[in-house]
Order: sequence, then C-alpha cells, then structure tokens
Amino acid sequence: MTDNHKQNLSDQDERLAEENAAKKTLASIKRRELAYSKSSQKTSSGPNSDKSTALMSRKDKRKLRSERNAEPKVELSRRTMLRQRELILITIPFVLYGILFYYIPLGGWVMAFQKYKPQDGLLGSQWVGLDVFKHLFSEASFRLVFRNTLAMGIINLILSFVFAIGFALLLNEVRLRAPKRFVQTVSYLPHFLSWIIVVGIVRDMLSVEHGIINQILVGIGIFDKPLNFFSKPNLFWWIVGFSNVWKETGWNSIIYLAAITAINPEMYEAAALDGAGRFGKMWHVTLPGIKPTIFILLLINVGNVLNVGFEVQYLLTNGIVKSVSETIDIWVLYWGIGQGDFSLGTAAGIFKSIVSIILIYLANATAKAAGEERLF
Amino acid sequence: MKKTFTRLMALLIATTMICGLMAACDGIGQKKVKTFDMFIAMPGTELNDGNKAQEEIAKITGVKVKETWLVSQSAEEAIGVMTASKDFPDFIEASDGYQIMVDAGALIAIDEYWDKYPNIKNYLSEEEWNMCRKADGHIYAIPQFGIVNERDVSPIHGDEAWWIQTRVLKWAGYPKVETIDEFFKLIEDYTAANPKHSDGTNVIPYTILCDDWRYFCLENPPLFLSGSPNDGSVIVDPETRKVVDYNTTPIAKMYFNKLNEVFKKGLIDPEFFSQSYDEYIAKISTGRVLGFVDQFWNWGYTAQDAIKAAGLTDCTYVPLGIVAETGIEEQYHNAPVLDVSGGLSITTGCKDIPGAMKFISDLLTQEVLTLRFWGVKDVDYKVDENGMFYRTPEMRASAIDANYKADNLCPYAYFPQYQGMNLDGKNAWRPDNQPSEFFEDLLPEVKECLAAYGAETYVEMLNPSKPNQPWFPMWSFSNDLTTATPGGLAWATMSEVKHEYLPRVVMADDFDAEWTEYLKIYYERCDIDAFLAEMQAEVDRRIAVAEGK
Repeated sequence: MTDNHKQNLSDQDERLAEENAAKKTLASIKRRELAYSKSSQKTSSGPNSDKSTALMSRKDKRKLRSERNAEPKVELSRRTMLRQRELILITIPFVLYGILFYYIPLGGWVMAFQKYKPQDGLLGSQWVGLDVFKHLFSEASFRLVFRNTLAMGIINLILSFVFAIGFALLLNEVRLRAPKRFVQTVSYLPHFLSWIIVVGIVRDMLSVEHGIINQILVGIGIFDKPLNFFSKPNLFWWIVGFSNVWKETGWNSIIYLAAITAINPEMYEAAALDGAGRFGKMWHVTLPGIKPTIFILLLINVGNVLNVGFEVQYLLTNGIVKSVSETIDIWVLYWGIGQGDFSLGTAAGIFKSIVSIILIYLANATAKAAGEERLF
Repeated sequence: MKKTFTRLMALLIATTMICGLMAACDGIGQKKVKTFDMFIAMPGTELNDGNKAQEEIAKITGVKVKETWLVSQSAEEAIGVMTASKDFPDFIEASDGYQIMVDAGALIAIDEYWDKYPNIKNYLSEEEWNMCRKADGHIYAIPQFGIVNERDVSPIHGDEAWWIQTRVLKWAGYPKVETIDEFFKLIEDYTAANPKHSDGTNVIPYTILCDDWRYFCLENPPLFLSGSPNDGSVIVDPETRKVVDYNTTPIAKMYFNKLNEVFKKGLIDPEFFSQSYDEYIAKISTGRVLGFVDQFWNWGYTAQDAIKAAGLTDCTYVPLGIVAETGIEEQYHNAPVLDVSGGLSITTGCKDIPGAMKFISDLLTQEVLTLRFWGVKDVDYKVDENGMFYRTPEMRASAIDANYKADNLCPYAYFPQYQGMNLDGKNAWRPDNQPSEFFEDLLPEVKECLAAYGAETYVEMLNPSKPNQPWFPMWSFSNDLTTATPGGLAWATMSEVKHEYLPRVVMADDFDAEWTEYLKIYYERCDIDAFLAEMQAEVDRRIAVAEGK
C-alpha cells in the first residue's frame, strides 16, 4: 500500500473517532476539551494520543495532519512524476506565467547599473557600476518619498488590521443571519470600486464648499469654519489611511470571518459554562482561534508595506501636500518615465524590492522566535 | 444543446469574417481612405465617428487621422511610456515630451523628406526653419502656431490677461481698472453687493488654476505686473539684455501679499490649489467666477463658449492689462510669435512617411484649410457675392455647441495652419477672426463694455503689441529644458518648490513668515544661478543670430 492510501485510511479512522466522540455525553466532552484547550495553550501541540485527536479543534487536527504528511518525504522519482502528471500539467501554465511576468522582466534590472538610453538598448548602453545607486541615495527627494512610503505603509497596515479584525469580531456577534449577510455584502462592495472613483468620493466628502464632513463638523460646532483638509500636510497620511479603511475593511474581514466560522462552537459553550460573557468569549475564544490567520496575514502584509499604492496618492495630491504625498512609485514614475531617466527609476524599484524582502524576512524571523505561525 | 451552440458560434464567426472581407473589398473599387493615428499630449476632445468635415477632408486628401488626447497624465509621462514601449502613433504632438522623443530617436527628420512637398518646405522661411533645427541640424517638428499669412487680424486677445466678467464692470459703471489693488477692490465691492449668482449659488470672486504645468496662472503674474512681455520663465531687461528671476522681486512679494490679503477676506476660491484643470473649466463654465488670470487659449475656447451657450450673456469675460502700480506700462498683448519649441512630428512608427507628408501638405491648401476652420460650405458658413464668408445666427449657435462640434467640425488643430488671412487674401483664417463675423457674434453686453473703454475688439482693451525682441519668447527655450543640465534641473526644482510653497504663501496666516520660509527653501534647493546662466546664454545666442553673427 502506498503512503497516500495509508493516509486516507488514517483520515477515515479520525473521522470515525470523531463521530463516536460526538455520541458521548456532551458534558464530559466539554470538560475534557476545556482541559485540552487550556493545556494546548501552554504547550502548543505536542504528540497526542488518538483519543485526544478526536477532541481537538478542527484547526489543530489539520495542522497535525500536515505535520504527518510532511513526515515521509516524497521522492522526486520518475514514478511519482508519472503518477502526478495531471497535477504537473496543470501547474505548467502558472509556472510559465510566473517566469514570463515575474522573472524575465527582472532582466531589465541591468538598467540600474547602466547609463541607459532607449536608442542604445540594454546591451549597448554604457555601464556605470553603482553610480546610479549613489545618485539615488544622495537625492534628498528620494529619502523623503521613502519616508512617506514607509509611514503610509505602516499607518495602512495598522489601520487595516485593527478595522478588519474589529469589524469581523463585531459582525460575528450579529445573531440574525439576514442583516449579517447584508452588512457583509455591502461592506465589501467598495473593494470593487476603482481608486479614481473612491478618490472622487473622498474629495467630495472633504470638500470645503459642500463636503458632508465639513458640514457635520461645522453643524455640531466643532469647527467655526470649514477645514481645508487638503491644505494640511499633517492630515494627508490619515486621509489616505482612512480612505483605505473605507475601501478595504469589508474585503479584508472576509478571511477573518471565514477563520471564525472554523472555530468549534463547542468552545464557546464551554467558555459560557466557565462564565465568559460576550467580550470574554471574543477575547478568550475567537481571537486565539484566528490568531494563526492574523499572523500569516500580518507577515504577508509586512512584505507589502512599501506597496502602499500609487493611485490614491497620485490622484489626491496637490502642490501643498506633495512633500508628504509622494510615494516611491510616484517618484519612479516621475523620474523613470516622466524625465526619461530609466536607470534611476529602475534603481529605486530595485531598492524597494530589496527592502520588502528584508522586511518579510525580519517579520518571519520574529514570528519564528516568538513561536508563532510563519510563512517559511 | 451544446451542438446547437457550437453551430451558432461557427455561423457567427463565419458571418463576421465574410463581413470583414466585404468591408475590406469595399474600398478597392474607389479611392481607399488611409487612416493614420495621432497622439496629442494635451487634453482635448475626441471627434465622433463620421464627423462631417473629417469625411470631406478625407474625400480630398484620401486620409483620415484618428486623434487621441492626453487623459489625466502629464505629457512627459505619456511620452515616457511611449518611448519605453516603442509603440508610437503615426503623428504626434509631444508637447513637453518633445525633447524626450528627440533624444530617444523616435522622430523622423522632416527635412529629409520635404523636397517633394513645397507646401511644407515653404511653410516657413529659411531662417525660421533654422530656428527649428535641433543640435544635429535636423528638423523633427513642424510648428503649428504663430504662422501668420499677410497680417494678423485677430480681434481676440489669445494670451494672458486678467479676465473679468462684464457684469462686474457694468455694475461699477465701467471704471478704469489698472492696478492689482483696483482690480481686487472692484471684485470685493461687487461680491459684497451681489453675493449670489443667477443659479442661486454663491459667486466665486476669484480663482487660480494650480494644476501641474498650468500653475502659471498663479506664479507668472509678477512678470506681467512689472510690465514685461510674456517671456515665460524670466524677465529680460530690454536695456541691459540681462535676465532677471521674477519669482523673488519686490513686485512678486507685493503680488503674493495681495493674494494672501484677499484670501483672508474669503475672496479666493478655497479649493484653488487642489482643483484639476477639468474642475477649473467646469467652474468657469458655470459663470460663477468673477475674475481670474489665465491665457485665453487655456480656457476661452471651452469655458467662454459654454457660458455663451448657457445664455449667461452678462457673464463672459473681457481682458484687463493689470500692472503692479500706476506708471508701469502693460504689455499683455504680443504680436504672434512662432513657437519653435515643438510642433507636429512624424514618428518612426509611421509605416507610410510619404503618405503622411502628403497629408500635411494637403492640409495646407486653401480648400482644406477652409474645411478645417470654417467647416462645410452652406452648412457651417455661406459665401456672399463678393466671396466673403459669413454665417447665419443658427450656424453661429451650432459652432459653439460641443456636441455639434464633435459631430461636424474637424480643425485638426495640431496640424500646421496659417493664421491671419486666408490664402485668398479676402477672408480671415477662422470665423472669430473675420471682422464682420466677430461683430455680428459679439454679445450686446460685451459690445457695450468694450465701447465704454473706447475699444471695438478684445485686443483693443489692451495696449497694442510692440515689435517682438529678438530673444522673445524665452519660454520656447525653457519649455525644452531637461533635467540633464544643471540649469534644467534647477528649473524643474524651482517648479516643484513653487508648486508647494506658493499656494501656502497665499493661504498663510502669517504671510511674512511663510514668504521668508519660501525664499529660504527656494534658494536652498534651486541652483538659480545655473538656471539664469543657461537662460542668459540663450538670450545672447538669439541676439547673435538675429544680428547675423
């Protein structure tokens, strides 16, 4: 029998055991499960007996299974390849896509080490070593856009996490199915709007003359006269941050809502027995339950901090806030495309990629050190 | 079911192919119309398919040009993308991206092909063509503007001025408005007395466009206020022939201080610094804006027409030649100048260069020029027994209707053209330049206003133009500066600093502090001397060329 078949059988065993367990009295399960979940919080997951496997939450079980899968290494022999030929065939287009659109364009990186001129081409341009990078780092405006990008990236990261998780937690508490679904659907619709539309809405909302925000603020007496939001450089990052929140919160919360539904409802009942109220359950059951999801998403997003965007800043900016609104991407566009300095633009792009890779490694290492879920 | 579907699809594809074939064969019998595409790195309005004048021009020339325009990008970005991808249209007006295209070797040298096309070769004089030559001695762009046949008869001031609505002047009894103080005093008084526009909204006493390169509406008035002609980037002292930076002169400070003062009084549109060009045009088109500074070509052909079409007859604008203080002689109106900083180019992406050259040449025949600027005979204009063109009131109304224009008129405005008089020597090149047409079309409100100032035309509201100096205009040099030279880099940085600080200065609570800050940053970040040195060198060069050295 091959390993796979064995695996299937053991899966079936697990399912049987799960059903049997369900037949047992509820109270005894609860007691044990509570004991287990408490112990597992301390020790994470160690080797468990078959019986406790039946009592683990589905999530832990999946983890255990994946550990087992990893155990017997599948050799890359001709036989395995032949057996998995359909799978391999299916992946080919994606591998090709990756090579074509992610790896081949990297060839353009050589521009950063040249004094590139379009008419001379990649091969004919003069090589200048690291001169372009030296110029890049000596450029005060580049340091400025790097700061802006990082600041807006971090603000966006924090705001989007807090709001998406908070929204998912609150929405999860809504008992009635219909309003819950309605709110969820409505909340993720803005994700499908293009930034140019969202920016139009934001500008209208914050407009001095007829913007609803100004009307409210003046109406309830917080301001004497309408505030000119776009003339305040210190507000710009927050305007971008909250535009992002408005657009993406619903969408980002979908994944947390999905993770929440995967939490075993019995855990809540057990927590209720222990006297946990709504917030107690949220804090002690829901949040720990979606913690692995949070960590994985956090890791991925840390790598994306510098991809804070282009459209929203490009479209919302004006002369006054330019010094805080320009991001690396806009800078690359201005110098690379606008001023025709392709080498400088490429160098800035490379720098951005390298910083992103460093960030993601750092975050991953931190997660590893803290013993949390990680990417690699 | 599935089979039926497949059959249907097959049938559909077959039909499409046959139709395609038939369409392709259609042209073989008669003269086939070639299609060229063109990109114009300026915002503009696309023509509708089947545009009448375009069809007529195609009948004569056998060519149709599909024009596409700049949309929410800067010209440099659009051209940069194009040179990076090497995907060029046949014709291009690259605007600010012209030098990028030349550097990228993307343009055809016109002078290598022009021998067979005398219309093109004789379009400019030998000296004028020499001004267009790039460092390698070739000509890559044909200027479109400022080429005057016989004489300039324009009754319209097409350049920069302080524009004010006739209703404001009428309300005040047509006073003499010469200085910036008088201008804003008038606007202020009018607003206090008439705060509402006819549609019930508040009037916008004054607005300033600051969008991208069009922020000249904010930054260059100091140049005009000191009585200099529109050199664009610098003042050239006509006595010493030395360049002066107008951004930091006492007059500049006075001007921005004045703007700051009226901003605090609530007279300036609070969103002036963040409005886009489109929003600005939309705003002026409502007739709510009482006054502003701008080049006529930047707003007039769209917004002024829209105001007229909306029937707001007392809300159109007349130009004022405002100066810093009495005693300074204004020079807002210039004789037409040849703009050699760019023009119409043919790219290396054009497969049929002789065809393209022939088309340009054909466009310069009087028959086609009339079609371009007057429209179709007996539809857009009529001819009387003396051969003079005129229009009926209906024709005039259609000519300012945006939808009608897109369906019926095709000026190919960025192709070479003759201004002034038609080649027949009778009619003006365009209806609004034809004196009889101009006076027929003039709103009574405007006529009354002009008459009150002893003028018959818009141009007469301003001082008559002086002969152009040999270096004039310096903007045709600074437009083509790139960041490759220290002076060009300084020019780009100056623009960045001014973009950021000038709106701040206008809105500052403490003007003096903000102005000091601006000057500090300005001198810190921009190598002004390098910029002025390059400008000075160009002035000297142009003088030398003019004096035949």
